[in-house]
Amino acid sequence: MTTAPAPAATVVSTAEAVSSRRCSAGEVVEDALAAIEEKDRDLHAFLEVTARQAREEAREVDLRVAAGEKLALAGVPFVIKDNMWIAGRTTTCASRILEGYRPPGDGTAIARLRKEGAVFVGRANMDEFAMGSSTENSSAGPTRNPWDTSRIPGGSSGGSAAAVASGMAPAGLGSDTGGSIRQPAACCGIVGFKPTYGRVSRYGLVAFASSLDQIGPLTGNVADAARVYRVLAGHDPMDSTTSAEPVGDPEAALDRGVKGLRVGILAEAQVEGLDPEVSADLARARRLFKEAGAQVREVSIPRAPAAIAIYYVVASAEASSNLARFDGVRYGPRRDDSSLLSLYVESRTAGFGPEVKRRILLGTFALSAGYYDAYYGRAMRARELLLEDFEDAFEGVDVIACPTIPAPAFRLGEKVDDPLTMYLSDVFTVPASLAGLPAISVPSALSRDGLPLGIQILAPRFAEETLFAAARAFERAAEFPPLAR
Amino acid sequence: MVRHVAALARLRVPEEDLPALTHQLARILSYIDQLKEIRQEPRREPQMTATPLRDDVGVAGHGREALEANSPSLLHDHGAVPRVVGGAKP
Repeated sequence: MTTAPAPAATVVSTAEAVSSRRCSAGEVVEDALAAIEEKDRDLHAFLEVTARQAREEAREVDLRVAAGEKLALAGVPFVIKDNMWIAGRTTTCASRILEGYRPPGDGTAIARLRKEGAVFVGRANMDEFAMGSSTENSSAGPTRNPWDTSRIPGGSSGGSAAAVASGMAPAGLGSDTGGSIRQPAACCGIVGFKPTYGRVSRYGLVAFASSLDQIGPLTGNVADAARVYRVLAGHDPMDSTTSAEPVGDPEAALDRGVKGLRVGILAEAQVEGLDPEVSADLARARRLFKEAGAQVREVSIPRAPAAIAIYYVVASAEASSNLARFDGVRYGPRRDDSSLLSLYVESRTAGFGPEVKRRILLGTFALSAGYYDAYYGRAMRARELLLEDFEDAFEGVDVIACPTIPAPAFRLGEKVDDPLTMYLSDVFTVPASLAGLPAISVPSALSRDGLPLGIQILAPRFAEETLFAAARAFERAAEFPPLAR
Repeated sequence: MVRHVAALARLRVPEEDLPALTHQLARILSYIDQLKEIRQEPRREPQMTATPLRDDVGVAGHGREALEANSPSLLHDHGAVPRVVGGAKP
């Protein structure tokens, strides 16, 4: 036992160091806890640091390694977005309505990480019920961007992104409904990956919009994302929407390169009014792919500009239905039970924050008698057209590249009173969500103000191996300077 | 309208919040109205793929203690919730 790797170390290097007993999981977790102690005062990435349980988990991992078990994530500290069940911890979705909720056990994603030796250092801050793009809609207050603490870290998985970017943990889990892994990853200069819809079990993930929600990793690099994804992916009898499609070997695909790969640059991303730095970053990505040997061409998704409008109908409608279960009867604080109706109304009114209420109202309206076809029906038809656009596009290209964020991270408070402008932050991430495609954000460059930008790569459903090959090649070419941790 | 939808959603909107909320929702809906301009019909009807069912065999759950941990109160070893029939509080 010599020197423990700093928590800024990668997932792969930490797992190898612990597996080969160059250091112990116990030492790794102490380093992570020390980094959290030092840095989280300024960032507020954590809702709770679970030091005691993390130390116990690390001890367990050390025993398993000593007994000769081979663990893909041996001793790797993870930060978990607070909408996933971890046995023995609370799950609150950063909402007052779930205060004190204790899940009955691990969700499937957590159980799979645990089986491979992961250690859970804490619950990460998020926008309440994953509704937001800035982590400002948390009942516990916002998280700050480690590159510039006057700015938002993105959202809704902003706590996980800030924790990983600042070196408090090498990996985090997030959930992505319209961009909630990719957008904060781009804002914080790290990698964020949303797998194909159906790849990762949502058992133990508190539902927001069930036709869109997907769990995925936030990591410091592409190889780490592939490692975590390999552990997470695969059919689960507890989530009947998971696919039995073979996962393949995403890690082996990493070094395939992009020679001959057909890379489509999204035509609709090159619109007037796009931040000039983002536009230049996309032009650079096009050049880097070309230099790496890819065949680069333009590709059009004609319905992409309508994606935000489709999304806010579909996701809000599903949310209004999913969140109907929070009624003061089974979960959280209970208000005014003088009648059943007042119990529902008062518990929900006190328990949900403003953005969650806004989306519930929007979704309830879109599904209500007289408006259903004009809103929900129309949005579902437009979603189908968007799917067809992607099907057509993928006949001519293997992957599609576009920016992840339309501008670098904005200042805290800048958009809180203007929900529509906030929604437009997700303009580039929502199309892949609606189409169920795998998509990854790779940090690309720094803006003039020293803030990260990200390039997003999309692939056809279940083509994660191709996606990882393209992402790794781009990462290598882009030479993004990570935050000095 | 906002009041009606709030009642459907089992939410109460305080009077003082109504103007701002109405304005925000109206802006969002007018943005969503761009979907009216999409006149083309999809090649196939939008449909959710059928949900596969798992085998109908018993599996171990998380156990009684884990379930009881979330019960606001226990009565004769059962989770107790407010009375919902008969109106009055027990």
